[in-house]
Amino acid sequence: MKAAFGKDKWQYLLYTMGHPVDGFYWIRHQDRGSVPLAVLLVICFSLCFSVNRISANFIVNDVEPATVDSLQELSGVLLLYALLCVGNWSITCLMNGSGRMKDIAIAIGYGCAPMIPALLLATVFSQFITVDEGAFYYLIIGLGVAYAAVVMLLGIRQVHDYTMGKTLITLLLTFVAILCILFVSLLLIDLIGQVINFFRSIYTELVFRM
Amino acid sequence: MKFMKKLSSLLLAALLLASCLPVAALADDVPYDTYNYDYWENVVRIPAPYVPDGSISGVSLGCGAFASPQDICVAPDGDLYIADTGHNRIVVVDGTSHEAKKIIDSFENEGETDTFNAPTGVCVSENEQLYIADRENQRIVVMELDGTLDRIVRDPQSDVLPAGFVFKPLKISVDYADRIYCIAQNMFQGILVFETDGQFSGFFGTINVQLSLWEKFWKKVATKEERQNQTLYIATEFTGMDIDESGFVYATNIDETGKQGVRRLNPRGEDVIKKGRNEDVGGDLWTGGSGAYAGPSQITDVVYRGEGIYSLLDRKRGRIFTYDHEGNLLYIFGGLGTQEGTFTTPVAIEQWNGELLVLDATRAQITRFAPTEYGGLINQAVALRYDGDEALAVPLWERVLELDENNELACSGIGKAYLSAGDNQSAMKYLKLGMNRDYYSVAFKRYRSEILRAHLGQALTALGVVLVVVLAVTWLRKRRKAKKASEEGGLVG
Repeated sequence: MKAAFGKDKWQYLLYTMGHPVDGFYWIRHQDRGSVPLAVLLVICFSLCFSVNRISANFIVNDVEPATVDSLQELSGVLLLYALLCVGNWSITCLMNGSGRMKDIAIAIGYGCAPMIPALLLATVFSQFITVDEGAFYYLIIGLGVAYAAVVMLLGIRQVHDYTMGKTLITLLLTFVAILCILFVSLLLIDLIGQVINFFRSIYTELVFRM
Repeated sequence: MKFMKKLSSLLLAALLLASCLPVAALADDVPYDTYNYDYWENVVRIPAPYVPDGSISGVSLGCGAFASPQDICVAPDGDLYIADTGHNRIVVVDGTSHEAKKIIDSFENEGETDTFNAPTGVCVSENEQLYIADRENQRIVVMELDGTLDRIVRDPQSDVLPAGFVFKPLKISVDYADRIYCIAQNMFQGILVFETDGQFSGFFGTINVQLSLWEKFWKKVATKEERQNQTLYIATEFTGMDIDESGFVYATNIDETGKQGVRRLNPRGEDVIKKGRNEDVGGDLWTGGSGAYAGPSQITDVVYRGEGIYSLLDRKRGRIFTYDHEGNLLYIFGGLGTQEGTFTTPVAIEQWNGELLVLDATRAQITRFAPTEYGGLINQAVALRYDGDEALAVPLWERVLELDENNELACSGIGKAYLSAGDNQSAMKYLKLGMNRDYYSVAFKRYRSEILRAHLGQALTALGVVLVVVLAVTWLRKRRKAKKASEEGGLVG
């Protein structure tokens, strides 16, 4: 086992971008990927996303820069990442998916990678365009999103050793699972809040009586 | 030491004194909100564009208090006509002395004395005739300005009118050709148009009912009985009108979606109003909340103020929205309340000697609003732009920016002037501040090609040099390698 951010991991990331099917096969079977690297990529993606929203030229940017909070967006992206991994893992466990949690995390994390250069490139590019050329800006972002989607999809398919149809079905179920997780956790948070309130009111009652 | 102490106490005393002195008020002291919406539709406070400047009531005119007045109209000669609906009379106020000039409460009709019954609308045509919507008498009375009857328009006859239709005119407007445009009670099909001879010629500017997909779905699903019990989908009635110099009718209606409170109808009755970048000419953009104060603006009257500028009167929150001919919001002011300058039931708006007049039916008085420096500058600058004198407007916009540094229209205006003067960099700066994408693009395009033209030669030269160097280096390396290989080969051999 080499270092999580070793040179070979970076090189293999590049290889996987070019050869997703092959790349994710060896990630699954020879541990050529790295979870810390995948998380780093997700964080980078979130930061680039915020940078794009803040600094893209106002000609193509409908977002009010003052309303963008990059830390909030980072926590949102990380939460979504965690939910996707857990949701997908809990479904594929039941559906004969051969991927481990680790492989899922790597597949989704590596899948974010194409978005990073696309967002940065689009942000820089937007500084040099006019309204009429805005289509190119959206083209860059669109290509990035499409590439990321393809890599992610192929990655998940490969680590679980599924057919494409089954991958799509499990993805659909993953979203259902995410909704369930959210529902249960909201319920839990609410109940915990009620319990805390209960003890707090006992405490105030005691304090007032003393 | 002692000296220092004295000095410091002196300074402190001076400071205290200074803080007691009256400071020039930055915010204008008006009893209502003055604001506008910026590019992102945030509410932005602005200096007051108009301030209350007294009021006109029946008492102040010395003709007895008005009773529920419903309409006002400014004649071409400057006189103000007030429809005192509850007292069945028309009060005429002189345009220069601001005193009651005449009260019309009866007229000679075929040898007999005739009176009004609830006149709710009044209008003076360009040809100096007085038109009165005499609601409960179900007629439109046309008279000369001296009060003698000219003709009476009543009982519109047409196949398109529903059977048993009772004609109750509410508001009235007349164009340069003496065509009468009339908003009638319970008439949802549009504005009634009467030709010069008094013949009803048809409807004008019908508002089409727009059903959402959801409503259409339920209409399909519902049975006949259910459909009968449902409320009818009825187009909204028009509420007020004004006519601009080229004969286009500005007509307001109460739009439940709050998107379009006014239409600009061409002679064929088609809406040709220009909407601004948020596709909205319906008053407030922020209409959320709960209670009677929330909900979309209810535009009840409009005044065309010349040079493409028009103002809408909202009875929901008592606000006056002013737009230019491109549909940009210029400023918003006004509010409900009981102080002077606020309204209880605003019903009509007019422009009189450069002031805005708002008629309040419940309080039976007209509030006058005088433009401030800020409001006046915007009016002038927009008028100059309308006339195509954009360059002349620059000093005005610059002064507007001194008063309200976030004014996007001012930034845009200055930017456009710089653009036509050829200063692309300044133009870009101001157009960006004004959030004007299209004109910014024009300026940027010119700036970009300027830079390219100036530096393309240098850039190409640099590129060429770099290319040559890279080629040379690789060639040298290759040669060295080949040499080495041959030397090693030689050793081995």
